[in-house]
Amino acid sequence: MSEDRNRILALLAAGKITTEEAERLLDALETGPAAQPSGGGITGDPAPLIAALPKYLYVQVDGSTGDNVNVKIPVALVRSGLKLTSLIPDQAMDQINRSMSEHGMSVDLANLKPEDIDELIESLREMEINVDGKNGDVVRIFCA
Amino acid sequence: MSLPPVMLHLEVTRPPRRSVRLWLPLFLLWPLALMLGVLALPVAAVVDLVRLLCGRRDHHYAMLLVRLSALCCETRGLVIQIDKRNETVNLTVH
Repeated sequence: MSEDRNRILALLAAGKITTEEAERLLDALETGPAAQPSGGGITGDPAPLIAALPKYLYVQVDGSTGDNVNVKIPVALVRSGLKLTSLIPDQAMDQINRSMSEHGMSVDLANLKPEDIDELIESLREMEINVDGKNGDVVRIFCA
Repeated sequence: MSLPPVMLHLEVTRPPRRSVRLWLPLFLLWPLALMLGVLALPVAAVVDLVRLLCGRRDHHYAMLLVRLSALCCETRGLVIQIDKRNETVNLTVH
């Protein structure tokens, strides 16, 4: 069983994609290598893969005192926001990078290219953050 | 870029007070936003050009306007729900 197939089945098992999406992805995998034996990428109709991309970023906060916050952010909004980083003036960008590095995040936002943004968005599918606080607060961030 | 948001639904429930449900027709703002954009874009382009000629290439106001409008358009589907004991605030952009 190929690595891609395993990954799709794992996503299905985790409930991140529906059975229909998994079926479409598996179909795309099967048709891909036939059209390109070298395995340089998936060919054919990209619609199933696009349809399986995450559409929303969810932030759920369940407070121990009964306070709940649910936020559903379209991934397209995240993408548009990230694209705005390229318009940040150099002086401001230096300050942002310095401040982020002081807080332990040494990421140079100036080097964020459009293709990196797409890759970042695509990889959000596999991201899931679960934080259980000592006082019973639960924070969950995931994409679907 | 998708279509701009059409409606904004805001619901505030604070018992025993009467709950507030608002459907704000954002599509009514489209012509106004379009008019402002049409006016602002050439101005921003001229400012960018002048700054470029002055050797300042760090600001791109025209591009900023375009990207901000794209950002506004992508807010469709945004949902914010806040529950605090009996009080709830729901905001949905359609």
